[in-house]
Amino acid sequence: MIELREVSKVYPGQSAPAVDNLSMTVEKGETCVLVGPSGCGKSTTLRMINRMIDTTAGTILIDGKDIRQSDPDKLRMDIGYVIQQIGLLPHRSVAENIAIVPRLHGWPKDRIKKRVDELLTLIGLDPEESRHKFPSQLSGGQMQRVGVARAMAVDPPIMLMDEPFGAVDPIARNHLQDEFLRLQKEMKKTICFVTHDINEAIKMGDRIAIFSAGQLVQYGTPQEILSKPTNDFVKDFIGLDRVVKILSLFHVKDVARRTICTAGESELPNVAGKMRDLGADTCFVLDNGGRAAGFITWEDIAKHGDSAASETMQQIVAGRKKAFVQELVLLRDALSLMLELDTEHLGVMDGNRITGAISLRDIRKHASKKEGE
Amino acid sequence: MEYIIYIQRNTELIMEYAQNHFALVLTAIIISLVLWVPVGVLITKNEKWASRVLNIANTIFCIPSLSLFAVMVTIPALGLGRRSALVALVLYAMMPLVRNVYQGVKGVDKSVIEAAKGMGMSSWRILWEIQLPLATPVIFAGFRITVVMTTGIAAIATYIGERNLGRLIAEGLTRFNVEMIIVGALFIAIIAIGLDSLLGYIEKRIVPRGLRTGRS
Amino acid sequence: MNWARMQDALVHRAPEALSVHLLMVVITIGIAVAIALPLGVILTRPRYKKLSMIVMNVMNLLQTVPGLAVIALVMPFLGLGLKPTIVALSVQGLLPIARNTIAGIYAVGPDVKEAALGMGMSHRQILYEVELPLAMPIILAGIRTSTVYVVSVGTLAAYIGGGGLGDLIVTGLAMFWTEFLLVGAGLGALLAIVLDRTLAYVEFRITPPGLGS
Repeated sequence: MIELREVSKVYPGQSAPAVDNLSMTVEKGETCVLVGPSGCGKSTTLRMINRMIDTTAGTILIDGKDIRQSDPDKLRMDIGYVIQQIGLLPHRSVAENIAIVPRLHGWPKDRIKKRVDELLTLIGLDPEESRHKFPSQLSGGQMQRVGVARAMAVDPPIMLMDEPFGAVDPIARNHLQDEFLRLQKEMKKTICFVTHDINEAIKMGDRIAIFSAGQLVQYGTPQEILSKPTNDFVKDFIGLDRVVKILSLFHVKDVARRTICTAGESELPNVAGKMRDLGADTCFVLDNGGRAAGFITWEDIAKHGDSAASETMQQIVAGRKKAFVQELVLLRDALSLMLELDTEHLGVMDGNRITGAISLRDIRKHASKKEGE
Repeated sequence: MEYIIYIQRNTELIMEYAQNHFALVLTAIIISLVLWVPVGVLITKNEKWASRVLNIANTIFCIPSLSLFAVMVTIPALGLGRRSALVALVLYAMMPLVRNVYQGVKGVDKSVIEAAKGMGMSSWRILWEIQLPLATPVIFAGFRITVVMTTGIAAIATYIGERNLGRLIAEGLTRFNVEMIIVGALFIAIIAIGLDSLLGYIEKRIVPRGLRTGRS
Repeated sequence: MNWARMQDALVHRAPEALSVHLLMVVITIGIAVAIALPLGVILTRPRYKKLSMIVMNVMNLLQTVPGLAVIALVMPFLGLGLKPTIVALSVQGLLPIARNTIAGIYAVGPDVKEAALGMGMSHRQILYEVELPLAMPIILAGIRTSTVYVVSVGTLAAYIGGGGLGDLIVTGLAMFWTEFLLVGAGLGALLAIVLDRTLAYVEFRITPPGLGS
């Protein structure tokens, strides 16, 4: 647990404090994202936690212990630190770079070697192949992974990350974020993560701290921040698509309706009855191979009548061949797919299995409900 | 042809001169390294001192070599001969050595230092394990400049009593002996270029591998 | 300290020696710039790119030839006096200028040139309005190196009858007259330092803000 109590930082020669009387707590095992425009004090705050910068006033406690009581080097050896420029030692191999902190801790050689291989595997690099490479031989994404592995080398309970994925291209960044989320799910480290990208904050953070001009403007879960911005600054910072961003906090599976009704192509004329019997408002039509070819909704039946010509029905079904999403897709992306396909309904699948349906109305309801919470 | 005859006839003398030349250069270089490399490292810790020291080095470097030798001679403790020559050569070496060590260490990528510090490396450890190794190319460049320069300026020390290859040129000039001048100039140039190439070769082997891989 | 000799050195010998030395430096640097600058510009044109690498290497090699050797080597061919000295010094003095001209022009970012080309500037205009102004601080640094070098090696000109401040030093060494040594050496040092600082100041003034070296 990291606790900041009335912490301030004034740089010499500047009148306005870079961080002004800041108090906040990062709970154990949580990822706290510090976000704000440049010069808002988020990096300064992060760097005060491992004493890269010393506080002007106030106290910082790690697990109840004042950080000023520890030797700065010792303190840093137990806190993982990742920066945007990575800072791999160019004259040391990948393995040697990862081994720096274990070496400072005086680990025996074979333990270090084992740990290095373990970490390389963890970050998806082949130990045999990459161990002896130099940083200049890696891609930007690979370098950043090694940087993260290096910070995790002695399995520190706390990690500080200063725009760790800021320097890589968007595709690699997305990938690194996903990977890191996956790792964090198992590791449960206490993480402070600085970014200026609100989308990254929403994606990575258990809690988000929004900074402006050295002050903490709002501190809360992504959902709290998105649904109840405390003031116009936060609102502006989040952007006009605030509600759409709320949708990116939820998956299709959170909203999907689970009453499923299926029918073979030959059963098309009897679909309405079948749906009525099951109380379902969507009926998936399977092709001869048993795969979903499309679906019919209650609205179709209301529009074309119970006994609509089966050709009409077939056309509707065929038009929805692509209108399916996976359960784990974000609501925001499902909405985007609806707009793209010009439809108000999507089938929901888990792998190849049909698990439910979702409509524009469901999403709209969910959004307004979460917005009101 | 006449040059070869001249060299053959005066092998012993030339060898003696060359030996003296080498001894002077080598001593000057060793003293300079022992003295100026630590100075260059130390001033990286303090900006104010850095600019003062570099200014002094720059100013000394401007002084014409014959002038500096002449001034040294007037200092009673030094007088004519090796001591004056050594002091002057070591003073000249201050500028390329101190400057390059300073710039080399200061020029190391800030983010590497930041990351190392953030991992808990002490500042001396950072200096020893990161800054100095990464500065080797720049430091070595300064070392090469020093060696070439010292070899050349050492020749001028002949006018304050050193019996080295410079004497061939000096005597050649007073006696209008072209062979002597050319042989003297040639030998000095060869030594300078030879040492430079040798150091260039050593540099290639000594520069940390990670810095080279990008080029290979 | 012999005051009569000091007076002799300062009043009778120094003014002439200093003016000869200064003249020697000014003419030499003038010639060196006149040759090195166009040479450097030509060698950076795309057509001669390969040649420029070779020339750079040759110049680096020539730079290692010691000053005393340069002065001495010109004597057998051109004889004694001020003129041979100037020739010798010009040859050696143009090396740092040419080298820095080439390095300075190469250091101009390709994006700047690309932008200039994209705005419709001709290659000639790019040279005069983009490349040379941006390279000027580095070129001036070369001229400065060269000037200090010429002042220094110029003191050796006394040994081939070139005159200058070296005369005082040579006499001082021969007779072991401390006064002559101090006046000659002191003025030589002063001249070098003053020229170095002046050129450093010019360099500082013409460097556009934000282009700190």
